[in-house]
Amino acid sequence: MTASAIALVGNPNVGKSVLFHRLTGAYVNVSNYPGTTVEVARATARFDAAVDLIDTPGVLTLPARSDDERATMRALLHEPLRAVIQVGDAKNLRRTLTLTALLAELGVPAVLALNMHDEAGARGVTVDAQALSSALGIPVIPTVATGGEGMAQLTRSLADARAMLPLLHYDTDTEAAISDLANRISLHAPHPRLNARGLAILYLGQDSEVEAWLSEAAGENGADLVSARAAAQAKGVLPAALAHERGEAASTLTSRVTARTEQASPLLAHRIGQLIIHRFWAWPILLGVLFALYEFVGVFGAGTLVGLMENDLFGNILNPVVTAFVREHIGVVWMADLLVGEYGLWTMGMTYALALILPIVTTFFIIFGLLEDSGYFARLSVLANRLFKLIGLNGRAVLPMVLGLGCVTMSTLTTRILHSPRERLITIFLMALAIPCSAQLGVVLGLLGGISFTATLIWAASMVGVLLLAGFLAAKIIPGRRIPLVTEMPPIRLPLFGNVAKKTVGRIKWYLIEVIPLFLLGTLIMFLLNQFGALPAIIRAGEPLVSGWLGLPPEASAAFVMGFLRRDFGATGLFALSHQLSPIQAVVGMVTITLFVPCIASVMMIVKEQGWKIAAAMIAFIVPFAFLIGGLLNHLLRAVWL
Amino acid sequence: MSTHDHKARVPLAFLLPGARAEVDALDDAIDPTQREQIIAYGLAPGRPLIVLQQHPMTLVMIDEVELALEDSVARLVWVTRK
Repeated sequence: MTASAIALVGNPNVGKSVLFHRLTGAYVNVSNYPGTTVEVARATARFDAAVDLIDTPGVLTLPARSDDERATMRALLHEPLRAVIQVGDAKNLRRTLTLTALLAELGVPAVLALNMHDEAGARGVTVDAQALSSALGIPVIPTVATGGEGMAQLTRSLADARAMLPLLHYDTDTEAAISDLANRISLHAPHPRLNARGLAILYLGQDSEVEAWLSEAAGENGADLVSARAAAQAKGVLPAALAHERGEAASTLTSRVTARTEQASPLLAHRIGQLIIHRFWAWPILLGVLFALYEFVGVFGAGTLVGLMENDLFGNILNPVVTAFVREHIGVVWMADLLVGEYGLWTMGMTYALALILPIVTTFFIIFGLLEDSGYFARLSVLANRLFKLIGLNGRAVLPMVLGLGCVTMSTLTTRILHSPRERLITIFLMALAIPCSAQLGVVLGLLGGISFTATLIWAASMVGVLLLAGFLAAKIIPGRRIPLVTEMPPIRLPLFGNVAKKTVGRIKWYLIEVIPLFLLGTLIMFLLNQFGALPAIIRAGEPLVSGWLGLPPEASAAFVMGFLRRDFGATGLFALSHQLSPIQAVVGMVTITLFVPCIASVMMIVKEQGWKIAAAMIAFIVPFAFLIGGLLNHLLRAVWL
Repeated sequence: MSTHDHKARVPLAFLLPGARAEVDALDDAIDPTQREQIIAYGLAPGRPLIVLQQHPMTLVMIDEVELALEDSVARLVWVTRK
């Protein structure tokens, strides 16, 4: 932590992360849906090496209610902030100013970046930045972060950052309660940077981070604050009313500084956006998107590209050369085997990682980035809502699940955008069970796509069926109430090539850093098991289950051993066996390995987010359940398919 | 303005696509946290809106914000037709 920091704060999906990239050069993931950033990111500012710039998750409401909002509140409370850059959406000034009203109460020196003013212009909305600046008493800079517009002015304006003029006064009773609490806070728990008045308002609003900070700072005087708040609540000072009054003040100021020209016809983007969630057209569009995904990742990535890499590059060129070189220079047979044998670090570990997984994840991340930035994913939550109702969730949970198709580890973190602990628990559990990550998905599509579309369809239907069944049961068992869906649709945008490319490269890098060590470790374990004769024993021991119950060849046991390390490693193991598998065996094998334990990294993430006990309980359920479903499917398919 | 000054409050879920209305009140039956969020999204008493569609969810436009609400919530948002 340096002595001085500047935080980017704002509503969700207003472009904070793009601005962060512009001002620091550091790239954090940027997408067109609210909740891309769930943790704070930090980097040195380009304009001043002594300043740390902090990117925070978007806040819809302060007082904070969800985990990502709490992360932002923590940054405001704990970071040595010199100033705040509030990033606002110019076409949605009312919401921007509702947050401004609260930041003004906290007394942090601020500047306002009025971002996306090009989009506002396209919608006939113009904001008088000068008038807004004099009303707030701080610099207001129109920006287009994606195009770099306004960056120099914004950086310069930081020298003029100052505490804002208040946007409103609450009614008399509320004001009395606020100043009473503020006096007590100044006395018992003064904050080094934030005004007691702002803290009092957040404390009245039951912000859990402010509660925690005050209770620690006030020590034994904390009880005094608790009783003062209870007294205020008894007099009818309620958080909702405070938020409402801030909204009203924001509305008033918005109307004063905004001019609107009526648009002759709705924007094309609006029409496309509505078509995507149209009661009829939504479904052919969804099928089209899924088909494109299948063609690009399953057929082109896992078929054509993997073929080129695995057979032509690795099989015919690299591996023979490396093998010959190693055998020639290393006389000790087991050492040469360790590198280039059947379970060799190069011939298995690196070949799996680079020839099989790399083309698959690359194609997947490209199409994924395009869909993210277009605004399509956010609309999926509307389409999925009815289905998710069955499993005690609302459509918002579709976002982490779709992201889970990229990487379950990262998306486990993304569940922070969900509003209740119950929703998070159910979603994390279902992702650990039935959502395959990109690498695994690619392997599945590659193997089953090579057999028939029907095989792929049976696999997909089994996954959806299991997801719904397990979700239905989880929703019954886990106590709590379902929260109905209310969500904003981000604008439909043409994805920017540069951003999709940057995101794809970043994700591939991250992926390889995670994958290669684990693939090598997995290969080493397989090598040792084989070397000491344990592998045949495991294959024998697993035979009743793997051959008897699942109907797979005995060698498939090895794939399940590999699956403990990473599901995709296991799936790749089955992929390598594919010439020995009948269509039924391929489907059963892929269904079982998809449901099977998630990778080590995602288990660690579940432990981090939910604790050891819950993670252990999930694994204890998932492993036998995967074999149960696989076996049932095997017997069902044999009964009806043959 | 004519004789129709006193219009009934109806649930948002009842309006047809294309209808213009003003939010009158959010029912107390809405979960308090969700209520805060709905207000933060801009669906607050006194605010004008346009209904864009009702299936599969209620979709409304408030200024430049497109907001989707599940039927059970749209049923609890009281509006006056304009």
